[in-house]
Amino acid sequence: MADLALPQTLTLPEDFASALGEPVATLDEVVQQALNSAAHRERWKYTKADRFLAQTSEPASPPQITGERQTGVSWQRQPIAQPMSGLDLQQAPEAFARLCFAGEAMRLDITAPVSEPITLVHSENTLPVMIHVSANASLSLIEIIDGHDEMQQSVWIDIGPNAQVLHSRNALNDTPASWQYLNVRLQDAARYRLNNHALGCGIRRQDLHIIMDGQGAEAKLVSAGMVDNKAALDQQITMEHRQPKGHSEQTIHNIVANGGKCTFNGRIHIHEGASGTDAQLSNKNLGMGDNATINTKPELEIYTDDVSCSHGATVGTLSKEALFYLTSRGIDQAAAQALLSQGFLRQCIDGPLAATALEAMIGPQNTSDEH
Amino acid sequence: MNLLDVSNLHASVATDAGPQPILKGLNLTVKPGEVHAIMGPNGSGKSTLANVLSGRPGYAVDDGEAVLDGRNLLDLEPFERAQIGMFLAFQYPVEIPGVSNMEFLKASIDSLARARGEEQPNTANFMRQVRELAGSLDLDPAFLKRGVNEGFSGGEKKRNEIMQLLLLNPKLALLDETDSGLDIDALKTVADGVNRYRSQSNGVVLITHYQRLLDYIVPDYVHVLSNGQIIESGDKGLALELEAKGYAWLT
Repeated sequence: MADLALPQTLTLPEDFASALGEPVATLDEVVQQALNSAAHRERWKYTKADRFLAQTSEPASPPQITGERQTGVSWQRQPIAQPMSGLDLQQAPEAFARLCFAGEAMRLDITAPVSEPITLVHSENTLPVMIHVSANASLSLIEIIDGHDEMQQSVWIDIGPNAQVLHSRNALNDTPASWQYLNVRLQDAARYRLNNHALGCGIRRQDLHIIMDGQGAEAKLVSAGMVDNKAALDQQITMEHRQPKGHSEQTIHNIVANGGKCTFNGRIHIHEGASGTDAQLSNKNLGMGDNATINTKPELEIYTDDVSCSHGATVGTLSKEALFYLTSRGIDQAAAQALLSQGFLRQCIDGPLAATALEAMIGPQNTSDEH
Repeated sequence: MNLLDVSNLHASVATDAGPQPILKGLNLTVKPGEVHAIMGPNGSGKSTLANVLSGRPGYAVDDGEAVLDGRNLLDLEPFERAQIGMFLAFQYPVEIPGVSNMEFLKASIDSLARARGEEQPNTANFMRQVRELAGSLDLDPAFLKRGVNEGFSGGEKKRNEIMQLLLLNPKLALLDETDSGLDIDALKTVADGVNRYRSQSNGVVLITHYQRLLDYIVPDYVHVLSNGQIIESGDKGLALELEAKGYAWLT
């Protein structure tokens, strides 16, 4: 396999490099090595990294934002001067490269509980977004991935002590290649919830790195994906528990149908000293139609005792018992299959973007019914 | 005309070791307005009869026929059997997370109406009817928003089956051990529901292990199933005799 290479030489401000603890002269080399490490190769095993890497140096513009004109909110474009708290060069060399190539980022500061949601719409390659949520503040963040060209987004969220972020993201657009990199760091007693809804496209890649970096932090991820008609979706999640008493819960349901290809890798890493951690992960995949490819791998790395941890991944088809139950009530086979597959996804569709997601993923909803 | 005619029914269940014959020439006739109880020891074929008549996958009919209201049941898909008036109350109702009870019931009633060329009920009226039925069976109407049977106790699942029976109002109700796992209050509620369903135009086939249910749903006929055949038939007195003496004296 040919070595992965960055499209250009990395350049970045010297103070940024020194804050990283890496000498500027060898940074290019360090990134290059990270790109070709065994761990990184594994993360890109089922999706070709080249195309995404090549895109990292493409021009980017700010996402459209609404809701930023509220008390306690500031939104500005600024050069990248210091590394963000969740930055891990080995874990995400290409996300790091994007930052360096862009040289600047959109910074969103939340310094108080914010009542109205803030919406970011990405309709093309967008600048990295860095969100800082101060202690005790709260934010409802809505993110919509839109547009039909190749595009990349990277979002870094740092949640202060006792602060809360409710994050809803719809990635339902049709594009040849789309990459969402998301990095979330939680400090003491911070809370984070992500409702993610994704349709496959030419190839959609979603990386999520959550770092439980404070005591008693809580993170919940709920994600529904539909990968139909030869589309592809690759989701890579790392949940890192670095501090004690963290609670994380991940539920990911994906339907893969008619030549679709879906890859899921969910890694839970519990560091030494993170005692009292409770970490759960469940990934369920439903294969439908003539042909579907599903790769799923839950991974656990635990370096402390006194943790409660469970993870599971299943690949299956619709339950014959459930199908029989529905058809025994007069519902024909096709309608019963549709009800069951919708129900499978609906378990993971929630939050302010649920209605749009339901419509895009399982068709028009009869809103007069109570669900 | 007979409501249900089962004649010389032979059926087997698919197992890893090949097809296993279970029903071996079963005959049963149900006329409109009648309640038939089918009793018998474990393994005699009671549930197989319910499964074969309702079309559950995994069973093969080797011989004989079953006719419901003039239509040959055994040629039909399960949803078609339901559309011509067959209803199975499941011994183990299935949990379906993500599909709400209300959505499921509406899909069912709409399918049946479409198949019969009737008008689909208006949503508001339908919901009122379902809430009333739920209340009459001591089911908290809040359950309608939850997934089908999701997190229900055994008793709630059985009451949900009876709620569906009353809502869908089929020609023939096949109750497969609906009494199993019920305490006495739930048993009375379920029996009361079945008695409300009974009419001169429909029929009930009640599969049960215990005579107790028959104190509350009084059958016109009691049949004893053994080794895939009905070996004895009588009135409700037969059930009492079985309760006292067991099955051994018959088999």
